[in-house]
Amino acid sequence: MALLEGIGLSKRFGGVLALNDVSFSIEKDQIIGLIGPNGAGKTTLFNVIAGVFKPSSGRVFFDGQEIKGWMPYKVCRLGIARTFQVARPFLEMTCLENALVAAVNRHSKGHHGEHRHLAEESLEFVGLGDQRASPAKNLNLIDKKRLELARVLAAEPKMVLLDEVLGGLNTQEIGQAVELIQRLRDDRGQTIFWIEHVMGAIMSAAEKVIVLNQGMKLMEGTPKDVVNDERVIKAYLGH
Amino acid sequence: MTQKRFYIILFAVAGLFCFLPLGLDDYRLHVVIVSLFYVMMASSWNLLAGYAGQVSFAHAAFAGVGAYTSGILAVKLGINPWVGIFMGTILAGLLGIVLGFVCIRMGGIYLSLSTLAFSEILHIIIINEYEVTRGTMGLQVPALMSQYSKAAYLYIMVAGAVLTLIVVYRVIHSNVGLNFRSVRNDELAASSLGVNVVQTRVLAFTISSALAGMAGGLYGHYLLLITPEIPSLDQQFLVLAMTVIGGMGSFLGPVVGSFILEILSEYIRAYGEYHVLVFGLVALGMARFAPEGLTGLVRGYRFRRTGLEGRPV
Repeated sequence: MALLEGIGLSKRFGGVLALNDVSFSIEKDQIIGLIGPNGAGKTTLFNVIAGVFKPSSGRVFFDGQEIKGWMPYKVCRLGIARTFQVARPFLEMTCLENALVAAVNRHSKGHHGEHRHLAEESLEFVGLGDQRASPAKNLNLIDKKRLELARVLAAEPKMVLLDEVLGGLNTQEIGQAVELIQRLRDDRGQTIFWIEHVMGAIMSAAEKVIVLNQGMKLMEGTPKDVVNDERVIKAYLGH
Repeated sequence: MTQKRFYIILFAVAGLFCFLPLGLDDYRLHVVIVSLFYVMMASSWNLLAGYAGQVSFAHAAFAGVGAYTSGILAVKLGINPWVGIFMGTILAGLLGIVLGFVCIRMGGIYLSLSTLAFSEILHIIIINEYEVTRGTMGLQVPALMSQYSKAAYLYIMVAGAVLTLIVVYRVIHSNVGLNFRSVRNDELAASSLGVNVVQTRVLAFTISSALAGMAGGLYGHYLLLITPEIPSLDQQFLVLAMTVIGGMGSFLGPVVGSFILEILSEYIRAYGEYHVLVFGLVALGMARFAPEGLTGLVRGYRFRRTGLEGRPV
């Protein structure tokens, strides 16, 4: 059974159809890329899954449960955690406190020591272990992105939605980040749904890629099939 | 600061306050009692505005709810003031839930303006319902003890302030307090990490309003005359100035601010209402140049001297 499944999802904003009848299905333990030109509806799809927007029509299932119309916090507690395109750390809180917010609200309740351990471990995992006491506002861009990832991990999700985590990073940093994302799946058993513009990264890490264009699903397939597909090339380069 | 250390310091200071009647005359005792009322008000407002980020202007109104509930019950129905204060606390908490829900989709300036409107509506009702509230004449209420004594009131206000500070301390050091701060920092990010934002915001309103209700009830029965001054905007802005000047979002800030401003206002009383103007200007200056208030300045100074982060991890 698919871990996450969307059936005929549409989202209308006034006269604009941001998502148009999109269906997809993601199996456990996969890394799935989500690509498409700007304005294709990628982030809208994430917002619909995560409960920020209610879809105009269609249904979403996660882990066998219909989650359409759920509030974001409930979706997170069920096991879907997300990062944001522009990192949104709690600036006036320390890194540890940032991760603790996710840990104390996660799906399975625990006691204080357990939360703290989970938060510290998540910070270690992304390489922020020695920054735990510094306020998030003091972090640089890549560390803010790391912190987003640590918070997501501290929520102990079954699935992670990554929204352009590589944006603004240099080549070396991209390499580190991709490695980290692969470890998320390999070491921690996360299923990953990943919006990305850096094609090289998607090519090397994803098993399957879904392409959106103008709110519609253009195709899905292996990264290799996708980049060689004429419709995809046309969508990216224009007519 | 560990929990144990907090309790030791709190009860030690509270104990010292109980010796004040030995050395202070009635007038100075009065100033301390009023300061303690403001400690309750500013600390509970700080929980809502400083920690949860809901800058409500209805806090003085909730103190009014507490005071008038208890006062009306005592005058019209002859109910014991202690029971009345308890009922006032509950009613203020319930109204806090209502206001929290009404404002749930609002943030920033919209929330402030809506709570301001709520506060003004309550003020107008109190002034106009002369039969029940005695309007601007004020409602004469019985004292909390059979033999009026300033010293006894000091003990009561110390107990009220201690209770308020314990509630605030426990909340900000719990998971609830963590959620308060996450909501203030970024509601969307908080909700995507599992924080129930609606529940968190309403809870902040409920706790702080109930504490304001209790403070108002105690204060009203100390003054023996409950007037629309208690739920007035002047009062609200004084509480705001105390919190901002002391240090919004820090535990000690509002406590420090309350004593400094109340004592200061006694010194410049001769200049009449101008002290409100002065406090407004000082608060404005602080907000611009020292947004973390006096306690923030001290922390920054210690940080520069020792190189250690003043805030405990």
